[in-house]
Amino acid sequence: MPIITDQDIDDLAVGAALLGTGGGGDPYIGKLLAKAAIEEYGPVELLALEDVSDEVAVVACGAMGAPTILIEKIPSGDEIGLSLDAYEDHTGGRAGAIIPFEAGGINSMIPIALAARRRLPVIDADGMGRAFPQLEMETFHVYGVPASSVAIADEQGNRVLIETNDAAKAEWYARGVTIRMGGQSYIVNYGMNGRTAKRVSVPATMSLAIGIGRTLREAAAGHRDPVSALVDFFAGTHYGHAKVIAAGKIVDVVRKEENGWSIGVATVEPFDPSRPTVKIRIQNENLIAEEDGGQVLAIVPDLITVLDLDTAEAITTERLRYGQRVNVLAVRVPPIMRTPEALAVFGPAQFGLKQPYTPLGHGDD
Amino acid sequence: MKLTREHLADLAVGAAFLGTGGGGDPYVGRLMVQQCLDEGCEVELIDPQDIADDWLVVPTAMMGAPTVLVEKIPSGEEAIASLVRLEKRLGRMAHATMPIEIGGINSTIPLVVGARLGLPIVDADGMGRAFPFLEMETFGVYGVSGSPMAVSNEWGDCALIEAVDNRQMEWLSRAVAIRMGGCAYIAEYAMSGAEVKRTAIPNTLTLAIRIGEVLRKAHDEHRNPIEALLGFLPSTLYRYGRVIFSGKIVDVMRETRAGFTMGKALIEGIGHFHSQMEIEIQNENLIARVDGKVKAIVPDLISIMNTETAEPITSENLRYGQRVTVVAVSVPEIMRTPEALNVFGPSCFGLKEPFTSIEEID
Repeated sequence: MPIITDQDIDDLAVGAALLGTGGGGDPYIGKLLAKAAIEEYGPVELLALEDVSDEVAVVACGAMGAPTILIEKIPSGDEIGLSLDAYEDHTGGRAGAIIPFEAGGINSMIPIALAARRRLPVIDADGMGRAFPQLEMETFHVYGVPASSVAIADEQGNRVLIETNDAAKAEWYARGVTIRMGGQSYIVNYGMNGRTAKRVSVPATMSLAIGIGRTLREAAAGHRDPVSALVDFFAGTHYGHAKVIAAGKIVDVVRKEENGWSIGVATVEPFDPSRPTVKIRIQNENLIAEEDGGQVLAIVPDLITVLDLDTAEAITTERLRYGQRVNVLAVRVPPIMRTPEALAVFGPAQFGLKQPYTPLGHGDD
Repeated sequence: MKLTREHLADLAVGAAFLGTGGGGDPYVGRLMVQQCLDEGCEVELIDPQDIADDWLVVPTAMMGAPTVLVEKIPSGEEAIASLVRLEKRLGRMAHATMPIEIGGINSTIPLVVGARLGLPIVDADGMGRAFPFLEMETFGVYGVSGSPMAVSNEWGDCALIEAVDNRQMEWLSRAVAIRMGGCAYIAEYAMSGAEVKRTAIPNTLTLAIRIGEVLRKAHDEHRNPIEALLGFLPSTLYRYGRVIFSGKIVDVMRETRAGFTMGKALIEGIGHFHSQMEIEIQNENLIARVDGKVKAIVPDLISIMNTETAEPITSENLRYGQRVTVVAVSVPEIMRTPEALNVFGPSCFGLKEPFTSIEEID
């Protein structure tokens, strides 16, 4: 089993930001947490999904709330341990492995911090394959794992356990508690055994994120074009198809906070004046990229990530600014995220989009 | 003591009086208890002095807005689910349940739980009146932890809250109650029989029943019910009460702010009461002033009653033109200690005036 190295964590931070598709929170604070935990408690193993034993008790974990708050309300690192304690107290068993529920953004890091602290392996997989804004938008839920019980903890030592038979209600109650915990909490849920984890998880997403970071780092060191290096890298993974769908300058960003969401539109004017303008619609994450005239270039759950033109660093939605030169990269998600059941939970309609899901590259290959 | 239908009618009146304007109309709760009686269940009250020190007592209640309750009628299973969840958490079965709040609807919820589960209901509570927050309990004042707490709704959803203090328990559980639709059912402040004896306000259920009975009998016998009530109080822990004003309501200002019914009622004096009384409301009646001078202040009871019928009027039912008599009553000593006033004294409601007991005010 590979050990997660310091370099891996740096690479993971870069890759997880890209998988965050504009949302998921800046992994920086999570990276510090993960590194501090490894320094204090020892190294963490990254366990391939197929190597997870059928009987092992797996729990998912991560931070819940607004990433913008996390920056001002820095966790001590004890919160997520407290959350797992609460989960174990109430459910009986002890966790044998940790799985991230969201590989995109900061939630790629929290499981490493928890795993180090509890000397458990982290499974190389997750429940979103990217970032999504709600707890029920998980392949775990899509394929039948109950979202509840949800254990929630904060930095003061408060613990709340939610029990409901409905994943959307688990999200609803947990969100209410999280808001009153100051907008940021740490949760453990989606308890399952190893056999189930193999069936319901998006595999190899942690190593994918590490690979993305490594690819960009090596491209920069070798003075190669980072975006084409990325497209080549994705071609060798289970995500498969990646493509630059626009290259240009950000000429407009409209953004507002509505019902706890960051809602907005970013407009990209292509460098090639013969190409139509591209609009990216945002609801925390980038949801859809359309040309003027309505041609859809990419749509959720496929990844749409805005990258700095020179460094290919992912730009989160809150950091989009007029004048930035960008590449817009789209990546097709793996088959487990494209089934009718999955699209019923996190497809375009769940975000109020009228356009149907069309996988990236549909018709080109 | 086993409760009958007649007791329930008296309890509803007494609980409304002790609610000091808040606590919610006990009507829905009363119907639920009546149904239990009709189905042959027994509602058995037990005096706190008669319970064993090592008993586990788990209080139960409704949490949320009484105005929501009226449109979102409970099945009766919700509070039971919370009690059962706490039993599971504590690894012990409850020997009894108990009210947390004698004023208003929460005088009745534990009766339903007790009747359905065959548990006695301890004749005591933790507020001695109605208060808007869960930390405003003598249980907490004298050291009982509110957590673990269970919050349940009609869908079988449950949240178990383990907060670092009772105030945060209130804050976090309120979020859940709001998202359960504004009204949920709770079990909290699980404690031993010895702790009940040390921290609870005793005999408040029977007190509420007796208040209802005194008012009813006076009415039937064509005596002045308010005078009858004031004559009855000295034989209870609430020792002393008097009429502090009587007149006509000439203005009611009311708004819903931060989840509270906030407002003021202005009463113009009639007879030997001159000038105007202003009563400040935050769910409950908090303070009564005449010409800026305090006439009664929380936690002492300030109850606005219909002058003719002596029926207590809740804050949401105050109207221009009503002829009312305002009665102030001293609360038991356990509710007036410095520790108690730290938790539910005037400053906890943003009032600048210090607590002065009704006995000391002229």
